[in-house]
Parts: sequence; C-alpha cells; structure tokens
Amino acid sequence: MNPIVHALVIGVPLLTFLMGGAALATWFERRFSGKMQTRWGPTVVGPAGLLQPVADALKMMQKEDIVPRAADRTLFNLAPLFPPFLVIASAAVIPFAATIDADGAVKATGVVADLDIGILWVMALAGLMVFPIWVAGWAANNKYTMLSGMRMVAQGISYEIPMVLCALVPVIFAGSLSLSDIVAYQAVHGWNALSLSPSAIVGAVAALLFFLASLAEANRIPFDIPEAESELIGGVMVEYTGIKFGIFMLAEYLHTIVASALTAVLFFGGPLGPGPAVLGLGWMLGKTLVLFVLIYWIRWSLYRFRSDQLMDLCWRILVPLSLVLVMLSALLVAGGFA
Amino acid sequence: MTAFAVIAGIILASGLMVVRSENLVHSVLWLAVTLIATAVQFVLLNAPFLAGMQLMLYTGGIITLMLFGVMLTIRDEGVDIPNPSEGHLAGAGAALAFLVPTLYAIWGTPDFGPMVDPITAKDIGSSFLGPQLIAFEALSVLLLAAMIGAIVLVRRKDP
Repeated sequence: MNPIVHALVIGVPLLTFLMGGAALATWFERRFSGKMQTRWGPTVVGPAGLLQPVADALKMMQKEDIVPRAADRTLFNLAPLFPPFLVIASAAVIPFAATIDADGAVKATGVVADLDIGILWVMALAGLMVFPIWVAGWAANNKYTMLSGMRMVAQGISYEIPMVLCALVPVIFAGSLSLSDIVAYQAVHGWNALSLSPSAIVGAVAALLFFLASLAEANRIPFDIPEAESELIGGVMVEYTGIKFGIFMLAEYLHTIVASALTAVLFFGGPLGPGPAVLGLGWMLGKTLVLFVLIYWIRWSLYRFRSDQLMDLCWRILVPLSLVLVMLSALLVAGGFA
Repeated sequence: MTAFAVIAGIILASGLMVVRSENLVHSVLWLAVTLIATAVQFVLLNAPFLAGMQLMLYTGGIITLMLFGVMLTIRDEGVDIPNPSEGHLAGAGAALAFLVPTLYAIWGTPDFGPMVDPITAKDIGSSFLGPQLIAFEALSVLLLAAMIGAIVLVRRKDP
C-alpha cells in the first residue's frame, strides 16, 4: 500500500482514538475520583455527565486569551503547540492490532509507521518533551512557573534514564528496536512480564520500573512535583488561559494514554492474547485501559513525593536497579534462557 | 537534493541565530532547532538510528543540560541574561580558517552515490564492537575522565 494512504487509513482512527480518549479521560478522572471519595463527580451535562468534556472545551475556547505583559510573547505563544504534537507523534510507532501471516506466525499491524528504530523514536520524543514545558515556564516570567519548569527539567532528565534502560530489556530479549518485532518475539516466547519463562521475572521488574518512570514523565501523582498546586499553584500552566491551558491539559491526558499503550506493547504482549488474531485490537485496547485506570487509581490514592525524595528514589534506587536489569537480561539472552 | 538544501539552509540560519541572539535562552533554543534539523538531515541520508540518537542525546540531553546551566547561573532577579556578540572580525577570521580546510576535505572526498541500504542499529553495533573497538573504548575512557573531573571540580574542599 502507498505509505501515505497507509498512514491515513491507520492514522486517522488512531488520532480520533487518542483525542476522543483524552476527552473521555477528563470525564473519567473526575467521575472515578468522585466514586473513590464518595461524591458524584460530573452528572449534569449529558447522561452521567458524559458531555462534560464538550462543555469544558467550549468554555475554554470562549475565555479571554491573556498574555502577561512581562512574558516573552513569541515563546509564550509557541510553547503550547508542541506537547500534544510530540505525544501523538510518539504513538505513531505503536502497533494496535495483530494478524497471522501465511506461515502461521503472529504479526503486529495497525501501526502508522513501523520504524526500525521504533522504541528509540518514542524515547527521543519523550526526551524532547521537557523543552516546551520548560519554555512555557520560562517565557511566562513568573517565579512559580519558573520553579515548576526547573523541577520539570530535573525530573524529566532523571526519570528518562531508568525509563530508557527498562525499555532496553524487551529490546535485548527481542534483539530489535522495532515495536512490532518486540510483539512478534512475545508471540513466540510469552509476554515479557507475564510468562513461565525465567526471563519473565526480569521482565516484570522492568515493567514496574518502566511504568513508574512513565508516571514521572507524564507528571502524574505521586510524581507531579512540577505542578504541585499546594506550593506552585499549578505549575507552568499558571499564566495560561483559555484554550492554551486546555492544550497543556490535553497533552497530559494524551500522555497517560500513550504511556499505558507503550507499557502494554513492551511488556504485556500488546495485541496478543487468547482467541483469534482479529481480537488483537480488543486485547490491546483492553490492556491499555487496565494500565490507564491504574494510573488514575494511583493518582487518587497516593500523595506526592517531596522534590528531594523524588530525586533520591530515581538516582539511588531506580537507576542502579534498572542497570542491573539490563545486565541480567543480557546474561539471560547470552545463556539461552530468553 | 531540494530537501537537503532546505534543511541545510535551516541549519545554517538557526546556527547564525545561536550566535546573533542577544538572549541566552533564545540562543539555546535556536541551537535546539539546529540539532533537530541535523537529525532530519540524517533521516534524509538514510541513517534513522543516527537521527534517533541525535534527537535523544544532543537535543534531549545536551540542550537540557544547557537549560540547567542557564537556570543555575541566574543569580539575580529577572531572566534576561545579556549575551552580546563581540569580536566580529576575529570570529570571521576563525570561521574562514575553518572553512578553507573543510572545503578542501569536501572536494577531496569521492562521490559515494546514493545510499541504497539504510544503516541500521545492528550495523553500527557490530562496527563498534568490531573494527572500531579501540576508538569506541578510548571514547568511553575519555567520558569517564570527564566525569571524574566533574566530580573532582564540584567536590567540597572540607570533608
């Protein structure tokens, strides 16, 4: 198929899923937290408050667009454009479905661009994510946004290290950077984090660390120091109004969806599961949903770390542990156990 | 070729902006544009792994470190750090002195023709652990030395 046609056929549904999912996520988060705290959450707009995201979007578009007088105008206006772009672009390499090809092997499909460097592409974009957020904090010229931006950069580059190292574990098992090859490996050898093979122990720990580090990258509680509202009002978004604020929030919700999907593909088999390959899309969405709910469950159960505790956890525990995991997985592959 | 020329133009223009910007933060951000455009150039040259690494290490890592540097050097109130361009003549001289041998090297290089196979991560890995092993190990020793140096520099004098 022509690559442009292919990208449209897969990309348009993917974009719709991500944007619709992010809108529903705002509804879900409020509804879910409401249930957890014995209150109702949104109920008024639409059945069970389902149209609340539409109302919110309309409200944000009508709000006055204010740029602080002391702000760096160009950068202030440019910064919100990038976070959603980076998150959506990183979703382009994630396979969402599976087929069985002629010789009976399971093959991952439903991917916009099956790059050879798949996971590297995702990690590179995740590394770029700190810029627009830091720039937003700096350009607003406000001490709270500035502090938040500094925390964001510190947290972003620290947690990127265990995230990349843990993502290397499935890469070493599969011997490929491509996400569809990683799925194909799991089709033969069982899920990286959940199977009877001895490598699954390493895989499970790596999955846990990867998930924690992605929570930190997505700024979710217990790692949402950059927007700790009790100290910093609301992080880098403080000076943003209306739809620009909305775009930052959109990027955050998108990030939780993409992080769940990525964890599902790397460690839990992605579109693999019992039943015919047609069910692949269902399995993938189901696994993503479970991890997605887990993120929100954690967010509303725990409180946030202090800034120094956060760095301590990363550099003293997660980084050494993930280095050990990378070595162990290399040994397992060399010893023929994986 | 057109794409190459456009990207090369972006690299040159943003590189110029890095030295011409009066604001240090703007300089750093223009440098990010330069590095991202270089990554795009690698994609055009059929080296996707190199492009990914360029994005991850240079744009994601080095620029972030520079932002850290900028933040840690803000001692006073206000965020405008003056970054004047001085010594235009000496700079032009140095640029010219660099340009001449570079042009000489470019003209001396044979035309390899269009690249057919992409350079994959496997190719790069096996060349690191094969023919280029000594250079690779020397580089890692260099990085280790830099790291130890940094630790020595920031260590407190009184234990």
